Amino acid sequence: MRTIATRLRPGKRGAATVGGARLREALVGYAFVLLPMAVFGVFFLYPIGYAIYISFFDWGIYGKIASVGTHNYHYLFHDHVFGLALKNTLFFTFTVVPIQMALGLAMAIVVNQKIRGRAFFRSAFYFPSLTSSAAITAIAIFILNADGLLNKIVGGHTPWFENESTALWSIVGLISWTTSGTMMLFYLAALQSIPTDVYEAAAIDNTGTWRTFWKITFPLLKPAHFFVAVVSVIGAMKVFDQAFIVSHGTGGPNNSTMTMVLYLYRTAIYDVHFGRAAAMGVLLLVIIMAFTLIQRIAFGRPEVQ
Amino acid sequence: MLETSAVAAEALIPPRATSERVRTLLTYTALLAISALFFVPFLWAVSTSFKTLPQTAYFHLLPHPWTMAPYREALSKFNFALYMRNSAFLAAVITASNVFLAGLGGYAFARLRFPGREVLFLLVLSTLMMPDQLRMVPVFVMLTNWHLVNSFASYILISLVTAGNLFFMRQYFLTIPKDFEEAAKLDGAGYFKTFWRVMLPLAGPAIAAVTILQFQGVWNDFFWPNLLLQDTAHYVLTTGLAQFVFQYQTQWNDLMAASLIAIAPIVLLFIFFQRYFISGVVSAGVKG
Repeated sequence: MRTIATRLRPGKRGAATVGGARLREALVGYAFVLLPMAVFGVFFLYPIGYAIYISFFDWGIYGKIASVGTHNYHYLFHDHVFGLALKNTLFFTFTVVPIQMALGLAMAIVVNQKIRGRAFFRSAFYFPSLTSSAAITAIAIFILNADGLLNKIVGGHTPWFENESTALWSIVGLISWTTSGTMMLFYLAALQSIPTDVYEAAAIDNTGTWRTFWKITFPLLKPAHFFVAVVSVIGAMKVFDQAFIVSHGTGGPNNSTMTMVLYLYRTAIYDVHFGRAAAMGVLLLVIIMAFTLIQRIAFGRPEVQ
Repeated sequence: MLETSAVAAEALIPPRATSERVRTLLTYTALLAISALFFVPFLWAVSTSFKTLPQTAYFHLLPHPWTMAPYREALSKFNFALYMRNSAFLAAVITASNVFLAGLGGYAFARLRFPGREVLFLLVLSTLMMPDQLRMVPVFVMLTNWHLVNSFASYILISLVTAGNLFFMRQYFLTIPKDFEEAAKLDGAGYFKTFWRVMLPLAGPAIAAVTILQFQGVWNDFFWPNLLLQDTAHYVLTTGLAQFVFQYQTQWNDLMAASLIAIAPIVLLFIFFQRYFISGVVSAGVKG
């Protein structure tokens, strides 16, 4: 009975209700997006502007101390530690990204074959990507300590994370190990979307496996290369957890594991210099955006997903 | 006919068969070697977590004798039972709010017509690109002013809903045929009821992916808890582990037990819901 009644009601009021229904739909729409938009507004969008604002001030724990113009940026450009942090972060990015891409692609190609147990291998390769950075870093610290498993195998006595020349490389290895599985999944999805008739044509032409890969598969994966490169670069530029934990929050030894985000964190939390830390955040965003733009140009203009 | 041609074809192959077999053997050897490389650290961690402390100095894979003491010590003496409760609480609350708010917002952006919808949606998308590290300082300043630092409320508030989840839900809702909602409308269901009773149940796979990835994201998160929850009572598994490393680094057996306690629940989730993990990671992308 109720359903019939509601169904009849709009008919009686005619044109006025069409407008009314539209208004109602709009109001409901606003109501539904209100809370999500409030969260984005207060905790994502407003902070962008606020970060830029703070970056022009000498800003301590009790708030604004003085307006300093672009002094925080000037300071960073001449700051020795910031230079090191930038250098370390770029070094890290330029080593991790190619490794992740190559490993991810190689593993994706392997588990895309018709081989026995490929679900097992896929899970095995993805497994390290599941775990929390803190737990996996704890395990890595154990394995790479001076008396650890790795030294037992290679017959050395290097404290990998506490040695200035090996610490950053060890983090490169650790992160390559734990995130290549995710890159594999991206490549795998792209591989599976390549139509099989392309390969059939290659088979008819008797093109070798290696040639087929370089001449056909690799170029066809261009959108995937772009996507993986962007995700990988952004992740690498933001490296923090592993560097923080292995160096006990210091970025040591001798700043060898000081990354940009670690320095940002230290400046904000230990030095309580919010202005300078905010300026670093702004610079980080600018660098990430520049990288994304360069990659976009380098890879043409593929539609991402 | 068919059989003879098959036999003929086989007769042609033998010269290649040996090399093919060698290649297969090499492939599997390589695969198993890589898998071993990926697994050995975990095996070693598991083995160590069942050893007594003196045993950790020796390189036997199998503990002798086996002991559960490291797990007991990690859970009670080093408070990891509390950290696990904190992690589970935060992950559950944040996941629930994300499913609800991303679903609600995603439904509105996918289906309801209201002025300014496109502009608002662009704003949502623009937050996708923003690194957490940029909002770290302003968010920390705001939460400090509101006296919310070192309370769970701070972390929950900033994580109530993410643009990635909302976008993901919207994309899924767009693929659902409109017939279902029209049927609901004819039955006199209001917008919320249509969303709650019709659309959400139809979005099962999307909800599963959001739930699993969000839960995993909070459970594994180190950055925000490390910033916002700095007192012992509010430590989560990841920050508790970091503090353990800082203070008792060489208690390897306890450290490995604690690490595995942090890892195990996500591994279990993965074993049961592998499909959603993989589809979720691939389509959400940004979280990689």
